[in-house]
Order: sequence, then C-alpha cells, then structure tokens
Amino acid sequence: MKRIVFLVMGIVITLAFLMMSYSQNANIFELLYFSQGFNDQLYNLSCYPMVAVIIVSLAWGGALVYYYGINSVKFDRWYHWLGVLAVVTCVAPVLCYMLISVLLKDNGLDYGGEAAQFVMQLFAMTAVLYVVASYSVRWWSSNCRHTPFPQ
Amino acid sequence: MRLFIFAIGGTGSRVLKSMLMLSAAGVRPLDENGKPVPNVELVPIIIDPHKGNEDLKRTEQLLTAYRMIRSKLYGNRTDVDGFFANRIVTLREIMRDSSIQLNDTFIFNLSAVERNKFREFIGYDTMNEANQALSSLLFSNEQLENKMNIGFVGSPNIGSVALNEIKDSDEFKAFANVFNAGDRIFFISSIFGGTGAAGFPIMVKNIRQAANLDINNRDVLRKAPIGGLTVLPYFNLELGDDHRIDKADFIVKTQSALYYYKETLTGANDSNLNTIFYLGDQVVSVPYMYDPGEHGQRNRAHMVELVGAMAPLKFAGLPTSQLSDENGYPLPSSAYEYALDRDTLDVDFKALGSETRALIYDKLVKFHLLFIHLNTGFKDTIGQGYTLDKPLIKTDFLASQFYRTLSVEFMNGYKDWLSEMYNNMRSVQLFNVGEWDMNKAIHDVNTSKSFFGRKSVDNGVFKSVMNHLSQNSTYGPEEVELKFMDLFNRAAQKIIDERYENIN
Repeated sequence: MKRIVFLVMGIVITLAFLMMSYSQNANIFELLYFSQGFNDQLYNLSCYPMVAVIIVSLAWGGALVYYYGINSVKFDRWYHWLGVLAVVTCVAPVLCYMLISVLLKDNGLDYGGEAAQFVMQLFAMTAVLYVVASYSVRWWSSNCRHTPFPQ
Repeated sequence: MRLFIFAIGGTGSRVLKSMLMLSAAGVRPLDENGKPVPNVELVPIIIDPHKGNEDLKRTEQLLTAYRMIRSKLYGNRTDVDGFFANRIVTLREIMRDSSIQLNDTFIFNLSAVERNKFREFIGYDTMNEANQALSSLLFSNEQLENKMNIGFVGSPNIGSVALNEIKDSDEFKAFANVFNAGDRIFFISSIFGGTGAAGFPIMVKNIRQAANLDINNRDVLRKAPIGGLTVLPYFNLELGDDHRIDKADFIVKTQSALYYYKETLTGANDSNLNTIFYLGDQVVSVPYMYDPGEHGQRNRAHMVELVGAMAPLKFAGLPTSQLSDENGYPLPSSAYEYALDRDTLDVDFKALGSETRALIYDKLVKFHLLFIHLNTGFKDTIGQGYTLDKPLIKTDFLASQFYRTLSVEFMNGYKDWLSEMYNNMRSVQLFNVGEWDMNKAIHDVNTSKSFFGRKSVDNGVFKSVMNHLSQNSTYGPEEVELKFMDLFNRAAQKIIDERYENIN
C-alpha cells in the first residue's frame, strides 16, 4: 500500500510540475528566476512546457534506468544512485540551455546571460524530480529498492 | 514417526556424523514415491563406554550445534524443507515420564560399565575357583584387566557381557516409555570391532525380548520395525607393537560375527531384524593411527560412513508393508548392499549411483555453497539488498549464537569432515576442497554454457537472486535466521538449476 501511495504522490507532484510550467500567473520557472523580457520570450515561444518535459523525462527516465535497467547488486549503493542523480541533473539543464538558445536564436534574440542564469534553477528542479521519481518507482526494483535509503 | 538410532561404538559415532551433515544439507527420508516421509523425528542415542573417544566427542558437539541451529530455525516443527530439515531430539526432550532422570544428551550413560575393569565388572575376585577358571578360559588376562572407559578394545566377548547391563538402565527404560506404535529403531555398528559388534545383537535381543523386562510398551517394542547398518571392515591401522587390536583379525572377527548374526538376527525365517544394510569396502583406508583408546581415537571420516549415513534415512522411508505383516508382527530380514556406479578411487558425484545423486546432490551442493558464502561473502552483504527487508539482518546478527554456531562450530566440523574424506582412501571428491570459487567448487561439474562462455556463480549472483526472492517472501519479526537460511536455500536451488550443468 505504501508503495502505491508513493507512486501516486510522485505522479501527482510531477503532473503539478508540468501544469505549473503552463501557468501564466504562477509559472514555476518564473518563481525562482525572473527577468522581464527574457521570461516573456520563453513564455511566448512555449519554452516552459518543453523544458518541463525534458526535466521530467530525464528525472523519471534516470530513475527507471537506475532501478530497472541497471538494477544490479554491483550498483546498489547510495553513491551509485547519487552518480545517476549527478548525471541527470547535469544533462537536463544542458539540454534545456541548448534548446532555449536554439529557439531564441531562431527568433533573432540574444539572451545568453539570462539563459545561463535561468538554467541554473533547473539543476535543483531536476534533482528534486529525480528524488521524487526514485521514491515513486524504487519499491519494485529487485536489487536497488533499498537505495539510497532502506525502505 | 520417530526413528531411534542407536549408534554403537566409534563407527556408530562417525556414521552418525555423516548423517548429521546430510541432515544439515536438508536430506530427508523419502518414501517409495520419492516424497519426504511426514513427521519424522530422529532420536540418536550414542552407545560407547569410551567417553574420551574423539570421534564421539566431535559427533556430540555437532549434534548439539545442529539441535541449537534447528531449534532457532524451525522450533519444534517437523515437516520443513531446507537446511537442517530433520528434527533431531534427545531422549530427554521427548520423555513423558518425569520419574526417570536423564541428562539432556545424546550419549547413553554407561557409567556402571565405564568405571570398572572388566574383572571387577564381572566380580572375578568374588567367584569361586571353578567360575574363575571358566572366566579365564573365556577371557584373556589382558581382557580381564581392561579398563572399560576406553571401550572394549576390539573384544566383542567383553562387550557382550558388559553391554547386557543396558536393559536395566534409565536410558533404556526411558526409550521404552517413549516408543510408540509406528516408531522405528535403527542400529549403526561395525562388525569387526568390540563395542558395535557386541552391542548390536544385545540391543536387538533386549528389545525383542521386551516381554521379560520391567518396562512399558513391551508389546509395541516386541513388534517394532528394526533395521541395522552393519559396517564390514573398511579401515586400515598403522602397525604398532601393541596387538590388542590387530587388523589381521578384522576378517576373522567379521566372519564369526556374521555367522552369529545369521543364527540370531538375520536368518531366513528370523524376524528379529527386519532390514539389514551391509556395507564395507575392500579398498582399505589410509592407515589410521593405532590407538586402542588411550589417545582419544580420532579417525578420519570415510566414504563408507557417508554411504552408511543414508541407510537409516532409507529405512525410515521403507513402507510398513515391507517391515510388518498385517497383524503388526515384524517380517523376516531383508538385506541391502550398496555399490558405486563406477569403481574408482576418486569418488565424485558422478561415481555415485543415480539414486544416491538424486537424494543428495542438490542438497549437498546447496550446503557447500552456503559454506562458501558464509566464509566469503555474507558479511559484506549486511546492510544491503534483502538484509534490509523485514525482519532486518543487522550486523549484530554476526555476533548471535545462531550465526556463530552455524558459521564457526558447525561449518568447521563440515570442513573437517570434507577434508578427511578427501584425504582418505577412497578419496571422496564431491567438492574441490579449499576452493572458494563457486564456479569451480563442485568436482567435475562446471557451470552451464551461455552465449558468452560459461555462466558465472558468485556471491553477487546469490545476493541478486536472494534480493529477488525476498521481495515476495514474508517472515515473522522473530524469523531472522529462517529468513536468511530459507532465502539462501531457495536461491541456491535456482542457481543450481539455471547455472550449473545438470548431472542428475
């Protein structure tokens, strides 16, 4: 039962994150960093949902790969899990930065400094979502269900 | 059903030790359909006046360890599968009559015999001249002077007199009181020594003549199914100056005893003994140190003892129709012998017959893998994987009495047993002794082939399979020991089936 509760909670938190990335008034990407003009352009170019999908995909994908793809007794320690977290939290912002840069450039805009500052917050968001995803899916993993903390 | 196993003399203790190892591995008595016989309790009773016998002491220590381990795993339950499956109890544990005071031990108390010289025991000095002359005719001076706390020194004529006292002992009365209809009796003894050769027929006689004794259950005892393992000469002795025990006498003694058995126990129409297992080996062992008893008598384990250990289990599985007639009276003797599949000096699993392999291969391999795992991988597993499932296996488990008894006391006994059999003649090479690599542990059995070469077996594989099995298993909060042993047993079976060549 506990497992299902965690899975449902994880899905709810993730859906809330996705929905908040669409929101005009309380967009999650504008709560931690806001720069007039830059954020308007991101919103107008529908960058937020794409960024959110990338983060969610990598966080959940990383967790699924760790718990069910790797799922090995050779990689069942907390630092292995942390290693995947590190990879995911690095890759997601980099991909988002590349996406934003391409979109802005295609529209003849140049917000290089703002874009870099913007993606800094994505590190934390990706890490949090990876933790959420981990706690949602780890229960059924045969070898890594107790990683990073015992059930 | 209770199977009372009287292990008489040094050979009795050594065969019992092998039976203990098989039981620890999970070998159970099987019925004619190959199903485990339900509700079996084994009640070993060691009869040996030579308390200082190292083989007896080692066996008793292992029996005590076995009992402790099993009690932690299964309590009083009988029908269980897995390691330490057979419930082994002392007479005291199953006694109902509290008027009899017994020690909680597997050893028959023969203090009346042990403390005397034989001449004192028979009251030689108080005999009249004629009886003294007769006694001197029947017993040599050495035998009369023999202090019986070192046994009967290969002299069944002493043993047959001294052990006749058994029927008056508290242990025999206790045994008679707890013996019920449906229970069985089995004797393990050698035929070429003193204690076993004498004790076996005397005990059978006393049980069959129970009507004359002042005990309960006379009728049940009289009709009891009785089996026996008679071990023929199989070991060799170093030459010494002392000739109280002479290997040259082994065959003569055996012939004499066999004739006597034929007259009293195993004749064609004789139903004193229902089943007899004859076992011996013409290939003589590595010579054992000559020791009539003074130095403790510590002999190497031997293949004959391993094979002999299967006899009581076989007997327990025989259908009642082969042992008793429709009125419950015992049927005449039937005899069993044993042969290897290949007559070789290096006996591995493939040299054993298919029936034996089917009985012991999986079980012993699982136990051997447990032995390796406990020595090489288990400690590192704690705090990971299945050990974190409830009930938790924490580091304090390593300090528990259960773990220490299993991993140190019992497994050291197992290692000695394997090494001794390996270094004996015939050499029992079931496993590559001293090999810690699970891939190479079973002699002449490889891991099975896969697309990328051979499959691998190591502690990581065990951990992974146990993790998987643990997900769908439930154990009570007090079943930490059972959790570990049960998961390992099931994981080992899966690994044997999937990762080793099938030789059955």
